[in-house]
Amino acid sequence: MEQQCPICNRRRAENEPLCAYHQRAYLNLREKYDQWKTALGVSWDEYLREVADNPNTGEWVREVAQHILQREGAQGLSQPHSS
Amino acid sequence: MGKVLVICEKPTAAERIAEALDERGKPRAFREMAVPYFVARLGKLEFTVVSALGHLFTLTQSRGSWTYPVFDIQWVPAYTVNKESRTKNFVEAIGKLSSGAEEYISACDYDVEGSLIAYTILRYICGEESLKRARRMKFSTLTKRDLQKAYEEKMPTLDFSMIYAGKARHEADFLFGINLSRALTLSVKHATGYYKTLSIGRVQGPTLNFIKEREEEIRTFVPEPYWVIDAETTIEGKKYPLEYSELRIPTKSQAEDIVEGCRGAEGTVTEINSKSLTQAPPAPFNLGDLQREVYSLFRYSPRVALNAAEQLYLGALISYPRTSSQRIPPSIDIKGILNGLAQEPDYRGMTEKLLSRPSLRPLQGGKDDPAHPAIHPTGNLPEKKLTQVQLRLFDLVVRRFMASLSDSAVLKSVRADVNVNGHLFYIRGRQTEYPGWMEFYGLYLRREEVVLPQMKVGQRIPVSKLEAVEKFTSAPPRFNPSSLLKLMEDAEIGTKATRTEIIDTLFKRGYVAGESIDMTDLGFAIVETIGKYCPAILSIEMTRDLERDMELIQLEQRGADDVVAEAAAALKPILEEFKAKEKLIGVELNAALRESQFKENTLGPCPSCRTGVIRIVRNRSTGKRFAGCSNYANGCRTSYPLPQAGKIEPTKRSCPVCGAPIIKAFIRGRRFMTFCINFDCPSKKNRREERGAAVPHLQQAKSRE
Repeated sequence: MEQQCPICNRRRAENEPLCAYHQRAYLNLREKYDQWKTALGVSWDEYLREVADNPNTGEWVREVAQHILQREGAQGLSQPHSS
Repeated sequence: MGKVLVICEKPTAAERIAEALDERGKPRAFREMAVPYFVARLGKLEFTVVSALGHLFTLTQSRGSWTYPVFDIQWVPAYTVNKESRTKNFVEAIGKLSSGAEEYISACDYDVEGSLIAYTILRYICGEESLKRARRMKFSTLTKRDLQKAYEEKMPTLDFSMIYAGKARHEADFLFGINLSRALTLSVKHATGYYKTLSIGRVQGPTLNFIKEREEEIRTFVPEPYWVIDAETTIEGKKYPLEYSELRIPTKSQAEDIVEGCRGAEGTVTEINSKSLTQAPPAPFNLGDLQREVYSLFRYSPRVALNAAEQLYLGALISYPRTSSQRIPPSIDIKGILNGLAQEPDYRGMTEKLLSRPSLRPLQGGKDDPAHPAIHPTGNLPEKKLTQVQLRLFDLVVRRFMASLSDSAVLKSVRADVNVNGHLFYIRGRQTEYPGWMEFYGLYLRREEVVLPQMKVGQRIPVSKLEAVEKFTSAPPRFNPSSLLKLMEDAEIGTKATRTEIIDTLFKRGYVAGESIDMTDLGFAIVETIGKYCPAILSIEMTRDLERDMELIQLEQRGADDVVAEAAAALKPILEEFKAKEKLIGVELNAALRESQFKENTLGPCPSCRTGVIRIVRNRSTGKRFAGCSNYANGCRTSYPLPQAGKIEPTKRSCPVCGAPIIKAFIRGRRFMTFCINFDCPSKKNRREERGAAVPHLQQAKSRE
């Protein structure tokens, strides 16, 4: 059975939770969290909500943020450990 | 009397060339099979001046069916391949008119395309022998003076190096285009039975890949917050912005600390620095610079700019626009051009200023073109009314040319440092000390002067506005037709003659859309599939190497046949790999095609049931289209009539009044319209009452029951 991205139904690699595009968006999302936390002192969930509402956010990042929020964490898409 | 056949590229050019060659300046006009031609006399010579209609010959496969790979190709009349082509009469008329010609002259535009147009006509209509008796006129403007000079100094033979470079480019591009496009189209057809023309080419591939990379960057962009201090001071009743010395403050608390630290405090001017900068005039335009400037100032696409520039060239108002040069050679009569322009009252003052200078030396840009100088006015003024685009372009070229002949501008910038409770702010001013070239080109400059009041060190000034403003970083901008053109130029892919057309093709195939170029799902699927199975097609190196080979052919350092053979050899393994994976590729592309078609037909969410989407549907019996809810099977009967003519595009927006989708309708020959598809929308009621009558082609929204 072909593995599909739960957001866009594109094909995804067996070990990855998302397709290549949404995976790249997710990695960017994780990478930028520390910066947001330092700048605004927001929690992971608050950060996701802020990013999802921001008009400058890329389409795939918004979809990933909404996906995690709707699925309460969504499988395989964990919150980064605070540095 | 010796008969000379003169071949031009376009009918307007033929008339101008005939006028220039005729000893009385009045050639006789005739028609042969509805093709206009002119007869001019000069001494014992009789010139028959006839034009082509662009390329009269094109490439096609020599034999075999609609499949790939194709490596046997031949030149044939364009009308035998494209039935809509209007070139049949031209081929036959030139055949008749060439009878009895003792000499031939190629007077097509002086570039690879022009040279190739004349070559194919001579070779395939007038016969191989004609090539030995053919000469080449070289000119960069269609003014009488330049054309007469071009005739007097005509080359003793055709410009074969340019012809062979053009021929090799056409043949290599044809091999890539026909094979790859057929491979893509047939992969879908063989896998699913569905036919849709798909294409990719040697330059199209890397260009599409640039767009994809940018699109990925935009769609995966996470904005970062930062803060700026928005502050102002008031001096002598006038407000001036106070710029905080740190442009971006990374955290909210730091920004708030700065505001708290400055609140209620006065500022003290601690230092005032001013410096003068000289700004050299801009170089005259080459085609890319002109297209970018026109887009930036007027938002005309590169295609519109090129067409308008070509019309101005054919009207002998500007020089040949397809040039890479930013240089005006000494052979150009600058004084004569300025004297001509002085006949126009709007330019008189400026031309007088330039003509009163002891010498006229234009600023020369870095780029050169062996075939043509930079785009410049000829000194002729429009004899007939120009369109708005043409008029704007003409004025822009004239002013840019005059600016390039002028002095550098001197600009003064002033910075006052202001200390507010230990925090450093700046007040900045900028003024033009000496306008120089800006006097000529100022109309097209977006420069704001900020004149500061007299200030002195130690002066105390109030802080009249102070707040920390939250901002977010933005993704890089999408390409527009102008920035994409620049990228192609910088990457050295395509030529000045082909880049505009390649961008147009990407739109035509549905790979990209919008003025701010957005990649469609189909575009993504094409790049993904090609990237996966034959990545060489997306590689910039392969296409760039081929461009360099073309240049070497022109410099007579490489043989054209070798270059084409090499291109074919590079293509063979790519096509073999493609063929081996054809089914897989077809299935993937088909999925993307269906998805993109679904998206194109989905206009927006249904305002009634709120779970379905409004889609474009065709009535099976009448064939007419309308918009209906996808939840029809579940009982939602919402539907709207649609205009039957033209193209409809979703806008991804819903009407704020009734919630129905807003669509864009494109009808040929008219400006597109954006409107809510609900005829009964309350927002339209007032407008309808004002007009007093219903719009006949839009019926009331009704149930499908």
